[in-house]
Amino acid sequence: MFDRRLITHFDWTYLLLILLIAGIGIANLYSATSSWTTAVPPVYLKQFYWLGLGLLIIAVICLFDYRHLEYFSFPLYGGNLLLLVLVLAVGRTSMGATRWISLAGINVQPSEIMKIVIIVTLARYFSDKAHLRGFSLRELVAPGLLLGIPALLIMKQPDLGTALLVLCIGGTMALYAGVQRYAIMVIGLTGLAAASGGWFLLHDYQRQRILTFLNPERDPLGAGYHIIQSKIAVGSGGFGGLGFMKGTQSQLSFLPERHTDFAFSVFAEEWGLTGCLLLLVLYCLIVLWGLHIALRCNDRFGMYLALGVSAMLFWHIVVNLGMVIGLLPVVGVPLPLFSYGGTSMVTTMIGVGLLMNVSMRRFMF
Amino acid sequence: MKELGKGVRIRIRLIGALFTLGFVLVAMRAFDLQVMQEKQWDERAERQHQKVIPLTPQRGTIFDSNGEELAVSVDVDSIYVEPRKLEDRADATQKLAKALDLTPRAISAKLKGNSNFVWLKRQVAPAQSEQIKAMKLNGVGAIKEPRRFYPNSNLAAHLLGFTGLDPKGLEGLELKYDKMILGRGGYLVMERDALGRGIGAGTPQVQGATRGHDLYLTLDKNLQYIAERELADGLREADAKAGTVVMLEPSTGKVLAMASFPEYNPNALFRYKPSQWRNRAVCDSFEPGSTFKVFLMAAALNEAVVSTTQKIDCENGSYRVGGKEIHDHKKYQKLTPAEIIKYSSNIGSAKIGKMLERKNFHRYIEEFGFGQQTGIDLPGEAIGLVRPPERWFEVDLAAISFGQGISVTPIQLVAATAAIANGGYLMEPYIVERVVDSQGQVTMQNQPRMVRKVIAQDVAHVVSRMMEMTTEEGGTATNGRVPGFRVAGKTGTAQKVDPVTGGYSSDKRVASFVGFLPVEEPRLVMLVAIDEPKKGVYGGLLAAPVFSRIAAQAMQYLKVAPNQDVPAGEALPSLEQIFAEATAPERAKAQEVTTSEASSGPQMPDFMGFSYRQVLELMEERQLNISFRGRGRVIEQSPGPGVAIPYGAPVWVRMAPPS
Repeated sequence: MFDRRLITHFDWTYLLLILLIAGIGIANLYSATSSWTTAVPPVYLKQFYWLGLGLLIIAVICLFDYRHLEYFSFPLYGGNLLLLVLVLAVGRTSMGATRWISLAGINVQPSEIMKIVIIVTLARYFSDKAHLRGFSLRELVAPGLLLGIPALLIMKQPDLGTALLVLCIGGTMALYAGVQRYAIMVIGLTGLAAASGGWFLLHDYQRQRILTFLNPERDPLGAGYHIIQSKIAVGSGGFGGLGFMKGTQSQLSFLPERHTDFAFSVFAEEWGLTGCLLLLVLYCLIVLWGLHIALRCNDRFGMYLALGVSAMLFWHIVVNLGMVIGLLPVVGVPLPLFSYGGTSMVTTMIGVGLLMNVSMRRFMF
Repeated sequence: MKELGKGVRIRIRLIGALFTLGFVLVAMRAFDLQVMQEKQWDERAERQHQKVIPLTPQRGTIFDSNGEELAVSVDVDSIYVEPRKLEDRADATQKLAKALDLTPRAISAKLKGNSNFVWLKRQVAPAQSEQIKAMKLNGVGAIKEPRRFYPNSNLAAHLLGFTGLDPKGLEGLELKYDKMILGRGGYLVMERDALGRGIGAGTPQVQGATRGHDLYLTLDKNLQYIAERELADGLREADAKAGTVVMLEPSTGKVLAMASFPEYNPNALFRYKPSQWRNRAVCDSFEPGSTFKVFLMAAALNEAVVSTTQKIDCENGSYRVGGKEIHDHKKYQKLTPAEIIKYSSNIGSAKIGKMLERKNFHRYIEEFGFGQQTGIDLPGEAIGLVRPPERWFEVDLAAISFGQGISVTPIQLVAATAAIANGGYLMEPYIVERVVDSQGQVTMQNQPRMVRKVIAQDVAHVVSRMMEMTTEEGGTATNGRVPGFRVAGKTGTAQKVDPVTGGYSSDKRVASFVGFLPVEEPRLVMLVAIDEPKKGVYGGLLAAPVFSRIAAQAMQYLKVAPNQDVPAGEALPSLEQIFAEATAPERAKAQEVTTSEASSGPQMPDFMGFSYRQVLELMEERQLNISFRGRGRVIEQSPGPGVAIPYGAPVWVRMAPPS
């Protein structure tokens, strides 16, 4: 009953790339948190456990044919939407945002799950509806709602970073499905108008972030602190870096969030431009490999799925790195496989699992 | 799939290209930050990582006129703790307490606060710091800090003064010239983290320190040494509690030597009473007694109220003035002014004082510099007491004429005498010749400064000649003679005011002698004052011999050729004798004590062949107190190598330049 081809077609290269990046990430966490003596077990070890769980998730996902997901996609979407509403109603509030909800004793972050679910849902939708002409403005209303409703709910939490990511992922998938030029222009213009209008809808801290992104020195000890410290760390890394465990910025705790959102700054300081370029190539490879899987896939659902996951990885990576090196405002997006955190690891690994699932079943018809 | 086919492939590639572009953008930005702007970010990182701790400045050296070091700064370890880096606090406290000779409680009190950096013990002995370093405790370290050290121990201690730990000058030249000597301490720059905790990557760096300026004194270490030794001997013979010697160069006012007793060792300051730290030569005043007659005579002759040939009736030893009887120690009849000085007649002086009148006399007293500071560059100078003439009664005028009822400081008295020696010019005494910065640039140069011309040159010569007569046959100061030289001088024996009764004490006196030589071209002027001698009272008997001994050796040392016949048996001592004598008796004594008390006390290390610095280091380590003689390498030491050092025994090394 178990097809041997599943093993022979298993995408070992991709898994190796993932493990390589995760390994570098763990080593980097070891360095970033070496001055912490209180955390037991140490952060890097916990991340190692999460990686183990992630691999388990990949294995489990690979056992089932991804095509079954096609039938579950809308119920999944509906359930996730319900969770997002519940979060706003009864969620746990921490640090000014309500993002978590307790389900049978386990804390889950519905917005995080939505990143995957939106991929599955839109894959289902676009694989059904796509046609050669591309979507017209009217045809985009339905997927637009599919995407817009959860994005709005997430933004309400508020979690601007995740909301933007969900929109970016959906947008990329829509673009791929094909959108008429006229529609693109209209959406672009309304987007711009919405952005300028949305300024007034933003929370104060979100406005602060954008303002300080534009000029971090405006408030070097307050809102600009993150960006400045991160830029100092990256910049002082220079070409060759300061060496493993020797980054002063990170080892001396100047760098905030250095084990989560700003883990890359630690890496950039200690390994310099050389290390950065190497890591960028690796990340670029996993994204392009994802697109390659999409390209090779023989069914549309799988293709959209692979593309969506690749887009998810890409946007995470680029938004995080852009933030760390001062190209984008601080929006609190983790770097997949690099930032410490179970949620990020699980989301990433589900995505990776789906990709590999698609990849290994490409010949199965 | 067929119906999508080509379009799909193109779109996927397009998306792939856009994604890659995203990565390229990130890479370019990274290149911009890490390569193009690296320097800027590096500096910012550096700035926020540094934590600075102010350090003790390195004070400049004080040299004598021959360039011999009188006060130096030696690097000594100070122990600090960064409490947050301690791993096992209790254990560390115990270990540190043991090594540093502190109580564990004192240490835990220091570690308690919220501070990141605590000095545990500053300026510890090298042995202790070695012990600490050997423990290799995390968060405990040593930094070199300069410590003030006086290589000649007691020599010129009153003049040099001393410093506190911080190290501000607290007394003497160290205080007066503190701004110049102090230097900038600089900072210990430590890496620190965002919470200000020091991190100990490698040794902390010292930045921004500048050494203080060096002082070059007019003082001659050898003359100072001679003066101190002879003063101590003289005080011992007189069984006196205190004394002073001040030696100036009359033509310039340069201080050549300035000795006070009781003495103290600035290296072990707190073993001595603060009263011992006082520089009596400038801070104390006393009634000068007969030495003051010289200035009366100079004034009277300068005002021409008396002629050198005039005979003054000395009333056969007893004379009533303003209802009080004054006496001479012998009965004199008619005396010339010169004889009044020679025999030190009080009655004759009182009569001249009356001729001069109080206003005139007072003017001259002020012109000679009494009742005001001489302006010497030492702190805490007293002004003495000169009452305004309106308040002088008949008897006061008489008393002041022979030096009672007025008080002067030793430095005032010497400076005024110098004005007679040099032909009438009151010179401002000074002790610092020049100040030199750490680059060797002279930042201050003191020049001889004339305060005023007090008396005519011929009057000065006449008075000098009168003073010379005191040392001639029949004079009061025959003990002040120096073989081979013409010496001018005047003795003084003044009763001290009893602080309890307010009247003159019957037994407390100051015996003094002030003089200069050679008369024809004076090279030095000197005061010897002996406070409260118990054996004898007269300046001629107690102070004059001390003057004579110091002057004889000083003439020899200054290579002034004698121009008088030296009476048989009174040959001047040779230089070798002067300095050999200085050490030999003490040495014999020391050896003697050594043999009897050999078992206890620290042992004298073998210093032979050591350099100055090496000796300093070793003595610092062993907590010894060694005086230095000469320059170069050690050629002789006392006590000998391996011999126990008895408490209080003199410890010295003699050095000679390597040949």
